[in-house]
Amino acid sequence: MPAVQETIDQVRQIDVDQYKYGFETEIAVDKAPKGLSEDIIRFISAKKNEPDWMLEWRLDAYRRWLTMEEPTWARVEYPKIDFQDIFYYAAPKNQSGPKSLDEVDPELLRTYEKLGIPLKEQEILAGVKKAAPAESVDDEDADAANDNVYKSGRVAVDAVFDSVSVVTTFKKELAKAGVIFCSISEAIREHPELVKKYLGSVVPVSDNFYATLNSAVFTDGSFVFVPKGVRCPMELSTYFRINEKGTGQFERTLIIAEEGAYVSYLEGCTAPQRDENQLHAAVVELIALDDAEIKYSTVQNWYPGDAEGKGGVYNFVTKRGDCRGDRSTISWTQVETGSAITWKYPSCILRGDDSQGNFYSIAVSNGYQQIDSGTKMLHLGKNTKSRIISKGIAAGFSQNTYRGQVSAHRKATNARNFTNCDSLLIGDNCGAHTVPYMEAKNSTAQFEHEATTSKISEDQKFYVMQRGIPEEEAIALIVNGFVKDVIQELPMEFAVEAQKLIGISLEGSVG
Amino acid sequence: MNIQTPIKNTPAELALIDAFGERLALLPGDGEVMLKRDAAIEAIKAGLPTRRIESWHYTDLRRLLTKVPAFDAGLEAKPVAPLIEGSPVLTVLNGVAGKPVAIEGVTATPVAEKLGDGTYAPALGAQGADDAIGALNSAFVADGWLLEIADGTVLEKPVEVQNVQAGGQVHTRFAAKIGNGVTATIVERQTGSGDALVSSVDNVVIGDGSEVTWLIVQEQPDTATHFGQFNAWIGKDAKFTLFVMNAGGKLVRQEIRVVTKGEGSDFQLRGVDLLHGDTHTDVTMVLDHAVPNTGSREIIRNVVTGKARGVFQGRINVHQVAQKTDAKMACNTLLLSDDGEFSTKPELEIFADDVACGHGATVTEIDHAHLFYLMARGIDEKTARGLLVKAFVAEVIEELEDEALVEALEARLDGWFAEHG
Repeated sequence: MPAVQETIDQVRQIDVDQYKYGFETEIAVDKAPKGLSEDIIRFISAKKNEPDWMLEWRLDAYRRWLTMEEPTWARVEYPKIDFQDIFYYAAPKNQSGPKSLDEVDPELLRTYEKLGIPLKEQEILAGVKKAAPAESVDDEDADAANDNVYKSGRVAVDAVFDSVSVVTTFKKELAKAGVIFCSISEAIREHPELVKKYLGSVVPVSDNFYATLNSAVFTDGSFVFVPKGVRCPMELSTYFRINEKGTGQFERTLIIAEEGAYVSYLEGCTAPQRDENQLHAAVVELIALDDAEIKYSTVQNWYPGDAEGKGGVYNFVTKRGDCRGDRSTISWTQVETGSAITWKYPSCILRGDDSQGNFYSIAVSNGYQQIDSGTKMLHLGKNTKSRIISKGIAAGFSQNTYRGQVSAHRKATNARNFTNCDSLLIGDNCGAHTVPYMEAKNSTAQFEHEATTSKISEDQKFYVMQRGIPEEEAIALIVNGFVKDVIQELPMEFAVEAQKLIGISLEGSVG
Repeated sequence: MNIQTPIKNTPAELALIDAFGERLALLPGDGEVMLKRDAAIEAIKAGLPTRRIESWHYTDLRRLLTKVPAFDAGLEAKPVAPLIEGSPVLTVLNGVAGKPVAIEGVTATPVAEKLGDGTYAPALGAQGADDAIGALNSAFVADGWLLEIADGTVLEKPVEVQNVQAGGQVHTRFAAKIGNGVTATIVERQTGSGDALVSSVDNVVIGDGSEVTWLIVQEQPDTATHFGQFNAWIGKDAKFTLFVMNAGGKLVRQEIRVVTKGEGSDFQLRGVDLLHGDTHTDVTMVLDHAVPNTGSREIIRNVVTGKARGVFQGRINVHQVAQKTDAKMACNTLLLSDDGEFSTKPELEIFADDVACGHGATVTEIDHAHLFYLMARGIDEKTARGLLVKAFVAEVIEELEDEALVEALEARLDGWFAEHG
């Protein structure tokens, strides 16, 4: 039996047409000419006042990219991308670098307001604490507020608009704790020694087709450095938005947690509704040294295209964390609801002994969306552990694939993995696929993998309804339970937003 | 495979291409059969699959297939004792079918005859660009057995087909057209001596309401290369059990491709892979649930010792019309040595919503708690380990309901443990 009519109707409500972030902001922009060439890369590098070594790095990547072929192994279909038909650089004008929010184009601020981005940081967790407005935080007055920062639920935000980081908040406050949080362009100028040391050390320049393209043309992104022994006092967050027509967004994020450091980082994305497809090819690199912990959470809500599958963002992302130090931990949590095509495998290289990697994912696909996502856990060190929890929900005409790899190197004694991937199908025009790769080269490795695919079970529904709960609520409860394991892993500040989003996408609509 | 750029053939590919040229005149069949052979060798010329071909991800045939022996008609292979005493045996010795045996309800015809008169042509050819075994076999196949089992036949004893080599190249087919309402067990033995290269393709059609068990017992020497492919189509309300045991071979790939064609059909796969030495064994299954209301269970147990590398790839495709599919797959591996490797890729491809599908996979060493339990009772470690490993595998064998078969297979198992355990 197909899913009950209510569920179908409710899922239809999340219909891609109802994408609520589909507005476009009219602001003056500064663009590079269309297309890609060494000159464009020089243009981007010059625009960002980059040192020569960075330009060389980009050009090297570009030359390697020219020799590479687009990968075809993922279960996604799309017309061939014309890489010469994309703007590789678009920045809101007013590029003098805003010192405070007052200097930011008010039009831009309104955009973020519409997105619900807590740039002004006051209303997060309303009722818990009224945080100081951002303007004053960037003042010296901030000292007084500083003591409270450690207890408050405040979030520092780096906002990236098209190709450029527009504003980063709470910078000074973070600096007091020794944490560097700025745009990557700024980091290249201000902290070249750190960037040189770590950039490309997790995702090598020619790692894959899109990562190489990103290395050549990345325009901005966030940089986080948490020094030895520091627990980052607040959640760090980046909001990405593609606004300009025909632009690609290529951001680059680099997060380094030194010995014993801890940081939790959140990322959110939106794009306006457009008929043509927009390209997003990001690279994220995480480095955790001894005893460090990095939590990286994503709520991805790029425009998924309309009901006929027209438009939408192509999301080709390379995310990789390196547990370089002993006893380090990297956790990826993702809620994927947007994008026409998602091609994304946040991975962990478990290099340090006793290091741990986690991957928690909810992937919701509807309309004509195609998701091919999963993770790689590469066990290299001794006593390394990894856990993968993946929940896929496919509806409409979408294709939802989990693709994951777990491998234990010959020297990775006592490597331990647990993988659980469950898929829920709503309607019979969608597909759910599971493609796990398990490779054990060590007899002490212990790998477990389980996967299930089903619709909402009649037994479960009956059980809940028998207790007097109406059908639609019963389904909501079951779907809620289905994704709960992952939602729980999100930082509290973000869980609220993610729940809101899944509310739009599935859960709320079922209830 | 990129068709535009011609590739530089490896020595193994060249040896196969040359062998085809030399062998051509001796191969049975012309006309349509010959066209199929020519097309198949073109696929070999285009290059054997590499790890970039998804279905060969863990078995890079271009790299692994290094030695191709020449055809050698002078070698002599002898039949082996049947698994079940008194079973009728149909042999293929060094690639040539022996004398037919009279079995009630069964018509056995050598495949060479069917190739000769051209009636076997439609069964030749590769199934898709990645079907290297189909291509290799179609190019060179010379003999084998076609079994036709009449409607309503109930076989008292299993029919055993034997493929025995003493070296050289051997390319055979075992096909079966099983009628409606048949109860039958077929035992297929793949064994021999020397450094043979064997390709053996089975095409089995199971009629409505039949209950069929097919066993493949592969015990090639550690010098042989074995490529097996088993294709089956299961009819309405039919119940089909395939049991595959791999306990030998230097380089082994056993493909299993099954389609549930009739509603109410059921497929059971039980696999035992006993891997030792410096060998490579790949079992790859593709199961298509193509109609509503069908079920399947696959259980694969692997024991890896020495420097052996093992692979299990299992893909369950549930077609959009195949509502009410109930499919479960499990692959459990005991990795007993530090130099052994095991890779597994259990896939689910699901296009229907009202299904219950799942798979589980584990790779681990012997449970220390179990070992402790036995050793605390005065059993020495070696014996305790042996008991646990055997129990792990025997569980799958014991599911075969036929007691004589279970005993015979356990004897093969004991033989392997005595030598390699």
